[in-house]
Amino acid sequence: MLFGESNESKDLAKSRLHFVLVQDRTGLTNEEMSGFREEMVKVIEKYFVIDKEGFDIKYHRLADTTTLLINSPVIVRRAGSMGSSSARSTAANEIDPSAVASNI
Amino acid sequence: MNSKNIGTGGKKDVGEAIVVTSGKGGVGKTTTTASLGAALALRGQRVLVIDADIGLRNLDVILGLENRIVFNIVDVAKKICKPSQAIIKSKKSNNLYLLPASQTDDKDVIDEAEVRFVLEQFKREFHYILIDSPAGIEQGFRNACAGADSAIVVTTPEVSAIRDADRVVGLLSSKGIEARLIINRIDFEMVRRGDMLSVKDVQDILGIEILGVIERDEQIIVAANCGEPVTYNPKSKAGQAFTRIAGRVCGEQIAIPSFDGGSIWNRITKRLGVGQ
Repeated sequence: MLFGESNESKDLAKSRLHFVLVQDRTGLTNEEMSGFREEMVKVIEKYFVIDKEGFDIKYHRLADTTTLLINSPVIVRRAGSMGSSSARSTAANEIDPSAVASNI
Repeated sequence: MNSKNIGTGGKKDVGEAIVVTSGKGGVGKTTTTASLGAALALRGQRVLVIDADIGLRNLDVILGLENRIVFNIVDVAKKICKPSQAIIKSKKSNNLYLLPASQTDDKDVIDEAEVRFVLEQFKREFHYILIDSPAGIEQGFRNACAGADSAIVVTTPEVSAIRDADRVVGLLSSKGIEARLIINRIDFEMVRRGDMLSVKDVQDILGIEILGVIERDEQIIVAANCGEPVTYNPKSKAGQAFTRIAGRVCGEQIAIPSFDGGSIWNRITKRLGVGQ
């Protein structure tokens, strides 16, 4: 997008499709979906400082499985987490997207 | 018909059965079956199109063969007639045949095993068997998929059609049937304006191989009025698209035309609000 929010109706179609297909593919209700999302954010936040705005869950259907892709931009490793001696210091505005994939 | 082998030009001994399905009704399954069948026949392939929409048959009228029906798929399945008695040669091609649906039965009058039996009767006679599935995901759909080697899922670039297509792709996948996508009735002008999902958008959402893209074309209606597949109209963009799709089905590498937003200059002027 060059200039901010788009008013193209196809973008609305895309986001609405994304919403219904996630429900259709996973069989989760809307409430379960947002619950799952909140819990995932909490778990990741235990170990990393993340950019919650950029947090995104996607469902990709492959030949015989659906793959869950969780994209969570990590701003910095949380100090003292996972028993590590020191957190790697990354510039706070430098966002490294890291993706976690798992089959469901 | 002799039952030894399929005609000249075929490399395989046994034809390929392809189900044409969509979930949602009215997206162009029957038109696709007829037009792709005609396009494959024009390439010299022997093609049988089967109407699996029992009770709501329409492939016969799209092909202009409605007044020649004697027997139908149910008669073949129940062994009321010989398989060769039920198929009807198209008016335009010696390579294209129709096995009509019964108009007076319910969808569950035959089961999946009987559909497999029907396919077996014809697989050695034809290079391609295209099965026109009814809308929905119930028994009629399951029958149409029985014995299919692969699937063509037809959708339009609309939310409802894409959602149903996704559901059908999932069901096909659980049956081990690989699906390829045809995007029907795309309007590249609307795509350019941002008011219609593009080919790439649809592919990103559904995540399956695209077999073809068909532009919205008035000639499809004209062809249906006349009972002649649009493939025979060389000026029709839809007809040309089906010809390209037939080439891809036969394994040729033919690029998919797409229009994903136009030139960079168009995009910039559009964002600035000074575009057309």
